Amino acid sequence: MRLDADMPFFFGPDAGLFGMYHTPSMPARRAILMCPPLGQDLIRCHRLYRQLAQSLAEQGMAVLRFDYHGTGDSAGDSAEVDWERCVSDAATAAAELRRRAGVDRIVAFGARLGGSVALAAAAQARFSEVIAWDPVLDGDQYVAALDAMQAALREDAGRFNRPRSHSDVAEQWLGFDIGETLRRQLSALRVGTANVPTLVLDSTASSPASHWERIVSHRGKVATIVPPTPWDDLDRLESAILSHPLIQAVTGRLKEVA
Amino acid sequence: MMREEAHRFGRARHLVGIAGIPQGPAGETGVIVLNAGLVHRIGPFRLHVELTRQLNAAGYPTLRFDLSTLGDSAASGGQQTRTQAVCSDVDDAMKLLAERAGCERFVLVGLCSGAQNAHVVAATDPRVSGAVFLDGYAYRTLGYKLRHYLPRLVDPARWARRLMQRTGGQPAAPKAEAQPIFAVAPAPREEVIADFTGMVNRGMKLYLVYSGGISNYFNHARQFRECFGKVMSHPAVTTRYAAETDHTYILTGDRARLLDGIGGWLSRNFPPANAGRQP
Repeated sequence: MRLDADMPFFFGPDAGLFGMYHTPSMPARRAILMCPPLGQDLIRCHRLYRQLAQSLAEQGMAVLRFDYHGTGDSAGDSAEVDWERCVSDAATAAAELRRRAGVDRIVAFGARLGGSVALAAAAQARFSEVIAWDPVLDGDQYVAALDAMQAALREDAGRFNRPRSHSDVAEQWLGFDIGETLRRQLSALRVGTANVPTLVLDSTASSPASHWERIVSHRGKVATIVPPTPWDDLDRLESAILSHPLIQAVTGRLKEVA
Repeated sequence: MMREEAHRFGRARHLVGIAGIPQGPAGETGVIVLNAGLVHRIGPFRLHVELTRQLNAAGYPTLRFDLSTLGDSAASGGQQTRTQAVCSDVDDAMKLLAERAGCERFVLVGLCSGAQNAHVVAATDPRVSGAVFLDGYAYRTLGYKLRHYLPRLVDPARWARRLMQRTGGQPAAPKAEAQPIFAVAPAPREEVIADFTGMVNRGMKLYLVYSGGISNYFNHARQFRECFGKVMSHPAVTTRYAAETDHTYILTGDRARLLDGIGGWLSRNFPPANAGRQP
């Protein structure tokens, strides 16, 4: 692998979006856009996204990783993260990937809310397929889970010498300021079918098959990944999410449809 | 006004980092932020992004980057020890910031393993004129043990729990202790004291901020002096113990206070107008 095969750059409106382009090892026929999750999931998945991107580039695919406005290295404060902006940033990133790779066909991959962004942006970004790993389909449940974890964090004796005040932990989710707009948007979020071939990779261990039905009913399928991924475990909040089975599942799927 | 630039750089073009370049005169002190544990260059909960942007707004050029094999950076391919690689990586980072913003002197910032890496470079590289060590080296002192164990010895509730366990009662199951995410590998205390002494003797300014998140080996502001002796009272050394915070500043208010503390310390010791020129 060439050391400089991955190039960091800024793109998009006011060059405010950070991207990492993985040049394919041979002329690309397809491209993959990797939509990151939000909040602490983005940090936890960084290593895995890089590993997956490099594996796909070695298979001859052009890959773009990027950060939405207000996340990662992109411009904007954490409190400015906006769901609609994430979806439009995914479309902007897809256009940038088409331009760089010189191909039109883009498969989108995303973990958790990144999978939800990929599904929501599928029409606008003209994705040919979406691979969503444990996507969030019902935002109200996701918001409730984050609120519960934030409440538990206030009294986390493994983290603080004394419980913190309610105001100390208010308007944040696990390390990040949360704007009222994002809370409202996620609370109302209900992700539907993307109307493109969709593969759901399920490592939740708790979701019945019927949970995914509405996004895979037409042109999709569900594959189970083991072991389960500890997304919502406060004790592992700062541990990286690594999954060799996930990398195998995605690279295998893309070989299949090559 | 400032701009951020994405760079692939280094002796083997193996490093990735984001330089923040304020508008204004060149030749100022540059601030370089090192990885905290295995977290990529944005830092825990985006701490490094918030820090570098706040410092850019105050007029300091910055670089947050990934050391070899961390984040988006690759291995250099050379036959170096980890310590040698860290020194070479920071050398590459200083060269980049010198080229992009004209910096001649540098302040290193590191949390936990980042503090350890910053320490190693600061102890040997004359271009480093300041360092911010967040939860860096520390040792369990006699004072630590007294502060830790004495209150437990005189706590009646603790004795009651003990007694209950002995008599076959049903105490609440203790919560499994979380595994430490980050850890600073120990170095001989005399060596660390000698390093600190050498740093201040050559004119470096130091800011040590230790948090309540390392209460398994550090538990009071007095412990800086207990650990490192009189060098902690040198005018070039500033210390702060933030008992209420956790190790990675997960609460945004704690993070804001940390950033204000670093910004204030920098402006007192390296005023942007004449930063970079040795006094």
